[in-house]
Amino acid sequence: MVSQYQVIGNSAPRVEGIDKVTGKALYTADFSPPGTIWGKALHSPYAHARILSIDTTAAKALPGVHAVITGRDVAGGMYGRAIKDIPVLALDRVRFFGERIAAVAADDEDIAQRALDLIEIEYEELPAVFDPLEALEPSAPVLHDGASAYQGMKLPEGAPPNAYSVIKVDRGDIEAGFAEADVIVENTYHLPRVHQVYLEPQSVLIWLDGERVQVWTCSKAPYNTREALATAAQIPEESVVFNPTLIGGDFGGKATPSDLPICYFLARASGRPVRMILDYTEELMAANPRHEVVVQLKSGVKHDGTLTARQVRFLVNSGAYAGYKPAGIIRGSNQAAGPYKIANTRLEGINVYTNTVPGGHMRAPGEPQAFFAVECHTDEVAKAIGMDPLQFRLLTLVEEGEETAFGEVLQDVLAKQTLMAAAEAAGYYSPKAPNVGRGIGIGDRPPGGGQGTADVTLRPDGTVLLTTGVFEQGSGTYTTFRQVISEELQIDPERVEIEVQNTDYVKMDSGLGGSRGTRIYTTAAYDAAQAAKTELIGLASRQLEWPEDKIAYAGDEVRRTDTGESVRWADLLARSGDTVSGRGHIQDSARPHFTSFTAQIAEVSVDPETGEVKLLSFTTAHDVGKIINPISHQGQINGGVMQGIGYALMEELRVEDGRVTTLSLGDYKVPTIRDIPPMKTVLVQSESGVGPYQIKGIGETPIGPVAPAIANAVADAIGVRVRDLPVTAEKVFQALKEAKA
Amino acid sequence: MNADVSQPVRLRVNGEQREAQAPSTRTLVDLLRYDLGLTGTKEACGVGVCGACTIMLDGRMVASCIVLAVQADGAEIKTIEGIGDAEHLDPVQESFIRNGGFQCGICTPGQIVAARALLDEIPSPTEDQIKEWMMGNLCRCTGYYQIIDSIKDAAGQAKA
Repeated sequence: MVSQYQVIGNSAPRVEGIDKVTGKALYTADFSPPGTIWGKALHSPYAHARILSIDTTAAKALPGVHAVITGRDVAGGMYGRAIKDIPVLALDRVRFFGERIAAVAADDEDIAQRALDLIEIEYEELPAVFDPLEALEPSAPVLHDGASAYQGMKLPEGAPPNAYSVIKVDRGDIEAGFAEADVIVENTYHLPRVHQVYLEPQSVLIWLDGERVQVWTCSKAPYNTREALATAAQIPEESVVFNPTLIGGDFGGKATPSDLPICYFLARASGRPVRMILDYTEELMAANPRHEVVVQLKSGVKHDGTLTARQVRFLVNSGAYAGYKPAGIIRGSNQAAGPYKIANTRLEGINVYTNTVPGGHMRAPGEPQAFFAVECHTDEVAKAIGMDPLQFRLLTLVEEGEETAFGEVLQDVLAKQTLMAAAEAAGYYSPKAPNVGRGIGIGDRPPGGGQGTADVTLRPDGTVLLTTGVFEQGSGTYTTFRQVISEELQIDPERVEIEVQNTDYVKMDSGLGGSRGTRIYTTAAYDAAQAAKTELIGLASRQLEWPEDKIAYAGDEVRRTDTGESVRWADLLARSGDTVSGRGHIQDSARPHFTSFTAQIAEVSVDPETGEVKLLSFTTAHDVGKIINPISHQGQINGGVMQGIGYALMEELRVEDGRVTTLSLGDYKVPTIRDIPPMKTVLVQSESGVGPYQIKGIGETPIGPVAPAIANAVADAIGVRVRDLPVTAEKVFQALKEAKA
Repeated sequence: MNADVSQPVRLRVNGEQREAQAPSTRTLVDLLRYDLGLTGTKEACGVGVCGACTIMLDGRMVASCIVLAVQADGAEIKTIEGIGDAEHLDPVQESFIRNGGFQCGICTPGQIVAARALLDEIPSPTEDQIKEWMMGNLCRCTGYYQIIDSIKDAAGQAKA
């Protein structure tokens, strides 16, 4: 098929590529205004305690120390993204191991650390609760007595202790549905906390430059983070400016305000620019990991495969605070019944406080948890009625015009097509060696919405400037901008320059996240290009005295459609020394009427003696819209799948008595280059999409179904089921031992 | 050892003689980044397992976050800045751009220093040799596939 596009659909090289491969690319930690000193925070050694006293005398006296602050120096500041429940520094109580209590600014990091060691604190330990189920018991210690007073908090009436959000959905008649069933299957799944492991730790630099608060930080949503900082520090938002910087990996975790207000108060107290960089121990102990979730699923099914009822209880361990979650709560519960036809459904989704590290966003927040539970459960239901898992899914997956488990009707539904494409590519029914198994996972998600702006300026030298407020985390948005402008203005990509503006640029820009990048910014750039063309035609009409409706834009030229005369627009602009500009702005948060399915099949072998799981191959099939840049698109798939493999087989932020015990990247294992399996990608072309090019999102969809595909393959290989991640050799070995007994 | 006592550290970095005063506790990566202004080398894990701070020290690949600056006194150092600049890209750098060998770019300087060292040692590595050599360089964005493509492609270029 001949593409209607010249540049859209090409694997254009990255705009910032040369900077990144030569070490010239600048990240937060690379900026050093003159006089920059180092800030560091002191973390709580208790999961729940009262602070009786803090003595900073010795720390303040240490040579090289410029400022020491505690909760008394931050004017009672609270922060959070939607719910503002986190004290900038703990005042009289700590609620998790790792909570920030005091902070120091000093000439270098070593001096800052020694000063922290000199701070004397008296604590009185309080009873603590770590388990989300126990936290709901009437006898559980209550973490937040005054929760209803928090800005952004809407406490549900009559909720159990520590539950700050309860979502309930009832559809059909759940009791009748269960009564109708031949078999009832009930399982509980446990998903551990995991860390995003962006390799650039959370970092911030704040410089009080006269009237302005100059900020460099690795936030992919700088406008949101600016609001959180301004609110916490109780300063006008307009006084704060976030400066452009690249972001060294995000995966959802990089718009957290955590150290920003502390850094601000240190900069104010010391009169110097202050830089704070988490070391990786602090990252693993007190950043904002993916949430621990417990999912209880109960399904009724007939022998013919009809699902008659499904009940979901989705319990999110929020950790000690809600403030790191952009929406206050983690969703995913609405995905935990799967993309299946079920007439009667019930959902209870609870977010609960415990004395553990607060969770935040990670790639497809809530979905890997939901998909793991429902896709493992789907295999267990199929097994209970003696049906092949692929056949069972083909029988129960939603089709065009049908309602999903919670009543959504979608258009252009490619669930079965995507699953079949994966099954064919994976050779799902081909013969298997002993102890080899294949497993399926499927899930879906539409691209998110938001708002964004782009400006396009045509310049007299024939180059074009694209202006944006996006701070890029590596997904390729700047390159997308260049491709759109090059396409729409019919000029060589090399002639498109990208300029990133600080947060004075516009009032609000959503930034990257929720797989919205390509949707929002292709639209903004496209509209900006069209607006600039219109401006150019207006200018040509005035300068050349041509009728406006007889002028067309044609690459390097403006052309008169009736006479065929043409003028190079660069010459036109050079004559007057003018530039012409156009702005594109989009604000669209509506959930599209389509989704994007991902179906994945893992093939594993399991050693029956040791329980060791070897991933032999992995097949990933995606229902896609127009692909703007195939290399970048494939890169999102590869990276998402690899993170899913880590989640399935090795990653866990282990917590014992409230303390994270995997405190280095030596203990917290992520996949290395030796852990990746041979992978096949299958793209299923969809007719639907959003924006000028009909795109779908790809940032988040690849990660979700990976872990259940692998766990289902393990069960297929050796007949035992591991319902809590990660699926380690120890757990498989234990399950094998129990099965034999 | 008294941490407050600074001592001179003399290094030859990317062919240039450099000197800085460093307390005995300062790591080599910090010295390179914050005393010599060579911010191309990145620090992530701080315990020598992620490879973001990979440099060449006297011809050997090391994690500069677990080398003290004073230990490196007198050494010959090569960092990402010495591999190639915009006007003179190394074939490995070109190949990473061409094959999507990076996304966020934070691990990329370390990946490229390591890949360059690999191709200097084994000009036409097999996929297993690439995996063996690059195992100490974590990447969280790419899933490694396009890094392997990049190194294979660079090896092909070097041969031609």
